[in-house]
Amino acid sequence: MKMRSWIFFFLLNLGAAGLWAQPANPGYKPVTQTYALKNATVVVKPGQTLQMATVIIRDGLIQAVGTNLPIPGDAKVIAADSMFVYAGFIDGLSYAGIPQSRPTAAAGQAGPPQPGQQAQRQANAANPTNEQAGIQPEIKARNVISPQEKSLEDLRKLGFTAAHVVPQGRMLPGSGALFLLTGNTADEMLIRDHTSLFATLNGARGVYPSTVIGVMSKFRELYKQAEQAKMQEAMFAANPAGMAKPANNKSLQAFYPVLDKKLPVYFAVDDIRSFHRVLTLQQELGFPIVMAGLKQGWYVADMIKSKNIPVLLSVDLPKAKETPKPGEKKEGEAAPKVDPEKEQLEARAAEEMKKLESQAAVFAGKGIAFGFATYNGKPAELRDNLRRMIKNGLTEDQALSALTTTPAAMMGMTQALGTVEKGKMANLVVSDKPYFAEKSNVRMVFVQGNLFEYEAPKAAPAAGPARTAGGTPAASVGGKWDYAIDAQGDAYTGVLTISDNAGAISGSWSSNQIPGNNAMINPVLKGNQLTFSSQINMQGQDMTLEFDLQIQGGSFTGKISIPQVGTFDIKGSRQGGPNGLE
Amino acid sequence: MRNKSGFLILFMLLAATALSAQVAKPRKGTFALTNATIETITNGAQKGTLLIQNGKIAAMGASVTIPAGAETFDCSGLTIYPGMIDGGSSVGLSEVSSISLTVDNDEIGDITPQMEALTAVNPNGAAIPVTRVSGVTTTLVVPQNGLLPGTAALINLVGYTPDQMYAGAKVMAMNFPSAGRRGFFDQRSEEDIKKEVERNQKAMNEVFDQAALFARIDSAAQKDPSLKKDFNPEMQALAKVVRGELPLMIEVNSAEDIKAAIKWVAERKLKRVIFSGVAEGWRVAEEIAKAGIPVITGPVLALPTRASDPYDAPYANPGLMHKAGVKVALRTSSAENARRLPYNAGFAAAYGMGREAALRAVTIVPAQIFGVDKEMGSLEVGKDATLFVSTGDPFETKTLIKYLFIDGYLVPIDSRHIQLYNEFLNRATGVEK
Amino acid sequence: MKNSLLLLPLLLLGVWGFAQSKTGSILLKNGTVLTVTKGTLQNTDVLIVNGKFTQIGKNIVAPAGTKVVDVTGKYVMPGIIDAHSHIAIDAVNEGTAPVTSEVWVGDALDPLDISIYRALAGGITSVHTMHGSANAIGGQCETIKLRYGAYNPEDLRMEGAPRTIKFALGENPMRSHGEGRGIQPRTRMGVEQVIRKAFADARDYDAAWAKYNAEKAANPRALQPVYNRRLETVADILKGNIIVHCHSYRADEIYMLLNVCRDFGVKKLCFQHVNEGFKVAPELAAFGAGASVFADWWAYKFEVYYSTAYNAAILTRNGVVTSINSDDAELMRHLYHEAAKSQHFGGLSDDEALALITINPAKQLGVENRIGSIEVGKEGDVAVFDQHPLSVYAIPQLTIVDGIIRFDRQNDKKDMRLEVDPAQPIPAFNMENYEHVDRCMQGTEDLWYYLFENEKH
Repeated sequence: MKMRSWIFFFLLNLGAAGLWAQPANPGYKPVTQTYALKNATVVVKPGQTLQMATVIIRDGLIQAVGTNLPIPGDAKVIAADSMFVYAGFIDGLSYAGIPQSRPTAAAGQAGPPQPGQQAQRQANAANPTNEQAGIQPEIKARNVISPQEKSLEDLRKLGFTAAHVVPQGRMLPGSGALFLLTGNTADEMLIRDHTSLFATLNGARGVYPSTVIGVMSKFRELYKQAEQAKMQEAMFAANPAGMAKPANNKSLQAFYPVLDKKLPVYFAVDDIRSFHRVLTLQQELGFPIVMAGLKQGWYVADMIKSKNIPVLLSVDLPKAKETPKPGEKKEGEAAPKVDPEKEQLEARAAEEMKKLESQAAVFAGKGIAFGFATYNGKPAELRDNLRRMIKNGLTEDQALSALTTTPAAMMGMTQALGTVEKGKMANLVVSDKPYFAEKSNVRMVFVQGNLFEYEAPKAAPAAGPARTAGGTPAASVGGKWDYAIDAQGDAYTGVLTISDNAGAISGSWSSNQIPGNNAMINPVLKGNQLTFSSQINMQGQDMTLEFDLQIQGGSFTGKISIPQVGTFDIKGSRQGGPNGLE
Repeated sequence: MRNKSGFLILFMLLAATALSAQVAKPRKGTFALTNATIETITNGAQKGTLLIQNGKIAAMGASVTIPAGAETFDCSGLTIYPGMIDGGSSVGLSEVSSISLTVDNDEIGDITPQMEALTAVNPNGAAIPVTRVSGVTTTLVVPQNGLLPGTAALINLVGYTPDQMYAGAKVMAMNFPSAGRRGFFDQRSEEDIKKEVERNQKAMNEVFDQAALFARIDSAAQKDPSLKKDFNPEMQALAKVVRGELPLMIEVNSAEDIKAAIKWVAERKLKRVIFSGVAEGWRVAEEIAKAGIPVITGPVLALPTRASDPYDAPYANPGLMHKAGVKVALRTSSAENARRLPYNAGFAAAYGMGREAALRAVTIVPAQIFGVDKEMGSLEVGKDATLFVSTGDPFETKTLIKYLFIDGYLVPIDSRHIQLYNEFLNRATGVEK
Repeated sequence: MKNSLLLLPLLLLGVWGFAQSKTGSILLKNGTVLTVTKGTLQNTDVLIVNGKFTQIGKNIVAPAGTKVVDVTGKYVMPGIIDAHSHIAIDAVNEGTAPVTSEVWVGDALDPLDISIYRALAGGITSVHTMHGSANAIGGQCETIKLRYGAYNPEDLRMEGAPRTIKFALGENPMRSHGEGRGIQPRTRMGVEQVIRKAFADARDYDAAWAKYNAEKAANPRALQPVYNRRLETVADILKGNIIVHCHSYRADEIYMLLNVCRDFGVKKLCFQHVNEGFKVAPELAAFGAGASVFADWWAYKFEVYYSTAYNAAILTRNGVVTSINSDDAELMRHLYHEAAKSQHFGGLSDDEALALITINPAKQLGVENRIGSIEVGKEGDVAVFDQHPLSVYAIPQLTIVDGIIRFDRQNDKKDMRLEVDPAQPIPAFNMENYEHVDRCMQGTEDLWYYLFENEKH
């Protein structure tokens, strides 16, 4: 019976693992969509944190947030002790989900043209089709986003749950929409359609408008032509008598909500040059604007503040250079000759890097609300870059605002997104340490109540028995320890045997439910933290268990995580009392 | 000052009228340039007469006896300078630079040392008179591009065949594999550049190993004809470098490349080496001086090679190298703009080189570098009569060249530019037809 | 309603003005002042207050707090003006169509371009930064002041300077469109017709608007002609609102454009490069067209093979308002030296030579009332040299724009970049092409790509 229970325990969770990997297509009906995240540190919103709080999720919404909440009977309880819960992040401007080579807009895409296209384009250089020219504002993100794109998962595993996605292209790639980062279809993903007209200053390749000056002029012309077309359509609608039918140019029609100032233009701005150019257009034409993806923004921060220009900062930063420490030299080598010119140049580069890293802090310091855009950054570097911004003065709350409440407000979705509050969409990110801390890992992401789980990366394997690293040596942890694993109400118990030979740790564990002794693999004792892994075989399937224990005197608490299964709480106490010895 | 320019215009007009009377050709003779200031370069300035006879400077000084029948030019208020030598150009090789079929300095192939620049010099190129009437009498014409583009030749800008123009010196041109970018159009990645440099350095070492081998076998074949190898023009040309018969002129510009080239030259134990280009010589001037390698640098009127460089780095480069003890000559590296050599020298002078060193850098120093300092580069009795008479300092823009002698020929002050001026200053038909 | 939250921050966006360009005050004591228009004044002081020359004379007492610089033994000349350059812009050619009058390089100003500082170090204070020459009618250009140190492109503009536009005749538009794309123009005949057609279309376009404007009061259902920036710009040329600056070389094509402009009533015309301008100097003078030339550049392509370095002198002597330009970031560093070449090639006087790079380009750009000479009331743009600026040995010492020192040789920091790439602390070595690169064709590399590809196929 107990043996079966263990197996059931694993199998249940294996099933769940399948479910979590593809929540949108489980293959069978999920048992429950109600979750209780228990005993977590909940960052309700920037500046407001609840300790040991529980978040109840039901039907894709946050049903309750607080301490000492009653757990609904149908809830899957997730012990989130020592975990940190935040509102899911919102990407202010993203290409996530947009296929890289969209055939319908090939002409507007970068990359070498095909020979056939080339001849056609050459002949058409002066009068290209709108498609060749990269002028397709009528394209809707919801019609081109592909739920299978890996870029969606790349963003989601960083903690993003929603993204303002725009089609990719040259001058006018299309209009954007706000999407959830999960769903089987674009419709399922869509939160809010038609949130922006997206524009860039990038010219088409080899055809008009091919340069920034061509794009600037064409934008003005299209804008005015749209005004004319709209006026003509209105006249025709009122009374078509004696009038030619309007041209019904769909690209111009896409401008109409912008003309009415009901739709903002999200303009890609990479640096202050493009910022000023876009500002010039905005001034002349008066359309609502969001400056998206700004770098070098410190030069214009005061202007942005005084004019209240909505802005999304880029998450991109140049790669940090590893600078050799001064005076460091290899043995046998003469001290390197000091090159004052080189030093001066490197100092300038470092200064510029500092400015780039401090951009967000400068904006926050001036009280400018800003979001982040990932379209001109690399997801793999995003968390490092956020930490670099924080090291340079951005507070964690400010960073969180830029990832949650500010983009929510810019999208007009404050009531549904951006905080961990009752009634909001159950978009959450759960990390094992504070999100912005070094070595913190995103462990769970909820997107509209759908759970995605992520493993913590494995620690580098240590060679031989572990030694205590750093700090004052902890008291010997050697001895026998009783443990209990909490698996959703069922307790699994056994004995953990640790041998501590002057800091060199080894040991094994046994279970009251499954036979045999299981050795500790790569045990590392760091201060009070003991980590190791262990392998067991269940029904012919090898499984790796990762133990992470915090030892305090005669007892410990901690976690066991099993890939594809989940994470469970473990606690234990030394046999024979707190000071018992072998 | 301003009054003087009116006089100059008048003079130009008179000169133009005189010259248009007949087709002026270079001619030889016995010429006495009297009452002149003579800037000898090697021996200070003198006052007096310079006598040209049989193509040479026959006598010079305050007490020169003028032979009967000599043509005398009163040079009161004028100064005689040795003809200026451009240390690297395409004069005569390139006619209209945008039309490739008129450009003869860039043969196909990476290793083409047998290409002879002298062969392709067009003695009637329009740039030749244009260049020489600015006092630039002699120029090294250099094949371009590839690792070993060919053999450069020193020519005088007078003559009807290349051999008449040949000024007695050749050097093997080489482009050291560069880690730098070629210009704004060069979009190669750092990685690609590095790979290309490694590939090129390997090829460079291979070809010099082959040349050394060829030279050894070829020498042995002098005694034992059975060892003789098939016709191998590339190796035959390079063997001259290996044997030290021909100097190797290495085009090298970035500081890193210069350092690498110094090392390479030392490793290869090459004896007769010249560096050309050397745009960043100022960064590694001491190393170049220590290596004792002479430099032909220019154009001086150029942009800094890095965005972070001082704006005047190219102007100051020759002076900084000169001060570090490098033997520095100048070049224009141009075809139609080779007449700007004195202005390049003027800027080098102003930005630290000093007028005297700059003057030497376009006269005696290149003559020494090319091994023709016994024949030209200064005003000394017995040297070739390659010189000009000017209204003053030839670097100064206002200065005019009054008389020009190249290799003993009196060369008319005439060129297409001057002819067009003469024709169009006061056009015969006016607006009214 | 639905979008109200979305638009909240947007609605707060108002129309705002750009930061005003800064002006300064400075007193230059006891220099040799080359006013260009009013002769040379020995041992003279020049006072600039709030960016304008307020006094030129002896023993001027500056208002309290004014910076005073002793320029004894030095030469003070008006800031040099380059009538043809492509610095400080990110796009040169919209080379995709034979007529692109609607584009404007003023939209692509780059205040961080290091070329600006390098030009200041050559005494330049104003630059006509131009569209390229790929098209018969290219884009509009911009007259800028070299206010290096500004990060806002607006700060570069010379506010209120007349609009200018680039035309191009000869090889470049023929190569770009005829040879490159198989469309007109492939010949100088075609170039003429492309321009005539654009002028005629613009005249029709303007007439259509005039008709609409006349009709609209009586007929509220009158339809506007479709807005066309290209024709609207050309119409502005016909109305005399834009000065034409035409890239040209051969005498025949220069003469052609004179005729075309005469036919359409276009009077504001300046030829650029105009290497064979000397052949039609009397015609240029009679028309009143300007000529902005190279001092001695020639033979870089066939249409400049029959050039003469005496061009500037011949044009000047024939009464054509002539300037010497650079078209090149290197050459523009020593325009004073380029001007001096007109003394070697044609014997111009000092004032005539200096006018080539000061008051004459100012006239060609329509700003001669503001810059180009040292006169009370004009803008305080000055270049100070250690020797006479027409000497090859002269080194610019101070360059002042609107009374503010923008270059000071004594305080040059060597690394004067405004923008640093932190990923590349030591900037790459970049061997610029020392020969004359035809920067007028910059931005048409894609065309070369296509040509090259086609040749291969």
